[in-house]
Amino acid sequence: MLGKCFSIFCISSIIYSLICGNLKDLCDSILKGASKSVTVVISIIGFMAFWNGIMEVLKSSGAIARLSKLLKPILKHVFPKSFKENVATEEITACISASVLGLSNATTPLALSAIEKMNATRKSNKATNDMVTLSILGCACFNLIPTTIIAMRVSQGASITYEIIVPVWICSFVCMVVGIILSRIVGKISGDC
Amino acid sequence: MEIVEKFSFLVLPLILLVASFIILLGKKKDYFSSFLKGATDGATSAVKLLPTMCALIVGVSMFTGSGISDFIAHILSPFFDKIGVPSEIFPLILTRPISGSASLATFGEILSSNGPDSYASLCASIIMASTDTVIYVICIYFSASRIKHTRHALPIALFISILSIFLSCILARLFF
Repeated sequence: MLGKCFSIFCISSIIYSLICGNLKDLCDSILKGASKSVTVVISIIGFMAFWNGIMEVLKSSGAIARLSKLLKPILKHVFPKSFKENVATEEITACISASVLGLSNATTPLALSAIEKMNATRKSNKATNDMVTLSILGCACFNLIPTTIIAMRVSQGASITYEIIVPVWICSFVCMVVGIILSRIVGKISGDC
Repeated sequence: MEIVEKFSFLVLPLILLVASFIILLGKKKDYFSSFLKGATDGATSAVKLLPTMCALIVGVSMFTGSGISDFIAHILSPFFDKIGVPSEIFPLILTRPISGSASLATFGEILSSNGPDSYASLCASIIMASTDTVIYVICIYFSASRIKHTRHALPIALFISILSIFLSCILARLFF
């Protein structure tokens, strides 16, 4: 996937520059791009390390387990079948709590094991309604602090930094709710697998 | 908006306050060593981004440097302007659903070429922060359990990512 992205960008730009004859700009942009990647990565290392460290403290003290408990009554309505049969509920709540706190490294493995557990007792290779809902939550999940984005903005000298949090919350909350509602409606109409 | 602004600056200190109290008062174990462990992981994953970022930032900066992105943006701009989406974020709309590191690279490029406080950069920031890489997420989530029929997952996820683009632009205009 990444390889395709990269080569499409390269091929289309080289062909376009050959047609327009601005090869000097193209060569400049290759050199600048390569050195810029180092600046971008170095500028976000500090904040990513710091934030991950703080989150590790919260995780090891059991704060995430507590958040999971708070979320359980809400998630019961979002994943009705899993909570009724008590399948993978721990994984689902942990996955959602981790992604709210922005622990993206922890979210994916938790979601994978949740789906695996939901799939363990079935033979079909079709996704169930709850699996679809979980994957949509993975796509548009409410995130408390968009750390990487703020770090990138700060590193580029932005004056608007933490102020983006509230619009981000509104946007991801609306997307999340619309996603859940759509997933539940379509799931109900088409029946569960 | 001033309350919103003050509130935004409160979130991080509050989380930090909780974490500091845990480190200070926690008796179960040495929580500062958990901090160090987490920080090491964070730094490692940031460094691991470098090779991908290197390739993709070159790709994206070629895309803008050669003028082809201006060309595409020029074609699309009447349509984009009509719906209030700045045409500068077009490369981001292309890469966001597919790959996290590619869109992060595109995002960095948008910030540096338009200025981080410009309307386009603000829209891009909200898009980046509010939705994930939908196609990638769905591929990963289902491929591990060998589920082939993802049913309505992909259409809804794509709908959400389009919704987030519109919403981000509206919110950027409302807030800043």
